[in-house]
Amino acid sequence: MKTVRSLIIISLVCVLALAVGVPAWGKDTIKIGVIGPMQFVQGKGHWNGAVMAMEEINAAGGVNVGGKKMKIELVQADSNEFLNVTDATNAMELLMTRHRVDFVVGGFRTEAVLAMQDIAMEYEKIFFGAGAAHPELCLRVAQDYDTYKYFFRAAPFNSNFLVRTSFLHLQFVAGILKSQLDLPNIKVAIVAEKAMWADPMVTASEGVIPKFGMEVAGVWRPSPVATDVTAELSAIQRSGAHVIFTIFSSSVGIPFARQAGELKIPAVQVGINVEAQKDGFWEATQGQGNYIFTLNTYARGVEQTELTLPFVNKYVERFGETPTYTADTYSAIRYSLVPAIENAGTLDSDKLVEVIRDQVVKTPTGTIKYMKDEQGRYLHELTWGPGYLLGLGVQWQDGKMAGVWPNKWKAAPEAPEITYKGIVDYKIPPWVVEAYKK
Amino acid sequence: MNLLRYYLRKVFTVLRNEVLVLPSRIVVLLFFLSMLLIPLVVDDPYFIRILVLTSIFAIFAASWDLLSGFTGQINFGHALFFGVGAYGSAIMNQHGLPHWATIPLGALVAVAAGLVVGVPCLRLRGTYLALTTLAFPIILLGIVFAFPGLTGGELGISGLTRLSTSRTVTYYIVVVIMLLSCAAMWKITDSKIGIIFHAIREDELAVKAAGINTTLYKLLAFCLSGFFAGIAGGLYAHFMRIAGPSTLEVQMSFQVVIYSVFGGIATIWGPVGAVFILVPLMEFFRLWPEFRTLMFAFVVILILLYMPGGLLPWIRNKVEEECPRCKIRNLVTRRVCRVCAADMR
Repeated sequence: MKTVRSLIIISLVCVLALAVGVPAWGKDTIKIGVIGPMQFVQGKGHWNGAVMAMEEINAAGGVNVGGKKMKIELVQADSNEFLNVTDATNAMELLMTRHRVDFVVGGFRTEAVLAMQDIAMEYEKIFFGAGAAHPELCLRVAQDYDTYKYFFRAAPFNSNFLVRTSFLHLQFVAGILKSQLDLPNIKVAIVAEKAMWADPMVTASEGVIPKFGMEVAGVWRPSPVATDVTAELSAIQRSGAHVIFTIFSSSVGIPFARQAGELKIPAVQVGINVEAQKDGFWEATQGQGNYIFTLNTYARGVEQTELTLPFVNKYVERFGETPTYTADTYSAIRYSLVPAIENAGTLDSDKLVEVIRDQVVKTPTGTIKYMKDEQGRYLHELTWGPGYLLGLGVQWQDGKMAGVWPNKWKAAPEAPEITYKGIVDYKIPPWVVEAYKK
Repeated sequence: MNLLRYYLRKVFTVLRNEVLVLPSRIVVLLFFLSMLLIPLVVDDPYFIRILVLTSIFAIFAASWDLLSGFTGQINFGHALFFGVGAYGSAIMNQHGLPHWATIPLGALVAVAAGLVVGVPCLRLRGTYLALTTLAFPIILLGIVFAFPGLTGGELGISGLTRLSTSRTVTYYIVVVIMLLSCAAMWKITDSKIGIIFHAIREDELAVKAAGINTTLYKLLAFCLSGFFAGIAGGLYAHFMRIAGPSTLEVQMSFQVVIYSVFGGIATIWGPVGAVFILVPLMEFFRLWPEFRTLMFAFVVILILLYMPGGLLPWIRNKVEEECPRCKIRNLVTRRVCRVCAADMR
């Protein structure tokens, strides 16, 4: 009887030891936390991109970590960061301590990402930011490398480069107007939503546009949630502007485009219109958003690299919409993180940082190479420019979002021309042609 | 030794005759003890983090109650004090001051903000006062964006020093400050000043007729409330390591009103209890992320529908009742009052 009891006790102890011990030596998944405002389109993009990456990697057998194949497991965390920054930090802490993730991707609102970044760094977990564009996130890396080295920007390229790209688009469109309509002196109306983030862009535009040989016709600042902008449009028409340089991230982008189309304002729109980056823009403007030009990351049929179309087509097929830049969690996992793990043969953050910061990888949006600052310090900031990431200029053409830039674009007079596959010609709205054709 | 024995006997007497006789006081005692003992039994950093944030918001909610619940000066822009405390601490910390100095100094800046708001608002009452106060954090938000060199603009001021490198020490710093602040606020409301605050809320004209300078007391309420909200703001900034525009958002102001109304206004302990219910509940609702806000709203509406005086006073009234003669609270099962022996039936 005594022996039986001893055997039972030994068996129970063994079972208990196995149950406790298995997670330690039997870990066969890599846990990646996906954090973002999941009730909003930005968070959905984070999640969808990560899901696609996970599915592809797991279908191919998983990640080779030092000879051992490991599957990827995603953990979703709703940061609710648009409404509550505290919530975002709690979600990050939850990922770190309860879910014990190995890596994190996502984040959108800069203030929240800064706070979340601190938590991820405290736990020494690699965090790919895929949403916030402010340079400060990467400046911290350079300034305090030992603390912030685990942060890498995945998307988009920083806001300074976003502004630079928008100005390139303005020059591109102005050049076409000049050559096709024979307009010697282009007048530009700057229309920026009345929001703090747009203020420095307005100041920069007012300073830069005259240097491009154009004239500023005026600055208009409608409310970000305005539903009627006919007063602004009439004033723009009276100012004689040929180009409207838009700086919109909010819903005003829809009525502005729709009413400009309805009134047939003789000026083309170019710049940033976040609403126009979405597939639903055509329906939202009832087709009046035709010919609107905006900065974007993806467009169906446009190939920044050979990886773009397979990704975009599969994303459209899987989720029924064109990916936005927050879906670049896909690239962060698929092309930055996983190759680094396979090269390093470990999940150790410190060793992976050394691999990721120096690796050059091709992704659906272009080639990713992390920059250093002027003092040679690691920034973990995306390199912008020919051969790396450029972004796209897209124009709505008869219900389709068509890629129109870069089209024979040269970074310098002696540099080679750049045209992505699938790029089509920019179209001047017929009523603008009619108004100015001599 | 005799002195020690005297104090111990006194504590024991107070405990036996004043605390252990009422369930609400037992709950408060247990709350104090459990808050101080939790880190000894729980080692989960996430759980500790939630408790730290809950404690910070508890100070914030109680400070609103001190001003709006007790004095009746309805403030829909309470985030102003929180934000000023946070930004004040952050700016001073950026200039090299340690957090033990920046938090009280930030709170003093919030007191100044209380004066700035209080003075122009003295002539206003009710809805007009509420709407005017709502404007102040929005104005400050404009100032924050107008001076990005000082305030960090849309990013805020980040990289602040931690309260402590140890999560447990941080917990104790925040919890002890919370317990002391709430006890101080409760003591203020229980003092002569608190009675005047009460009276101003009920009938300001009558208080004036009694020869009391109500202007002074209303300003005092704004300053005291600002001080405690500023303490909460400073703690928040150092815990989060960032003071950003989100500390001044309208949502922050409304959140504190929800906590107070849910827990029961003009009590101090009501808003504190509400924060300790609602903040962890919101975290629990993460299990259903799509319905999180909806469930939160449902719980709040349900409570306010059936317990318009707040959840905690409703519970207290179920287990305790007031003596009809001496107004002392007794356990609901008592037949005679524990103090005056009046018939409770």
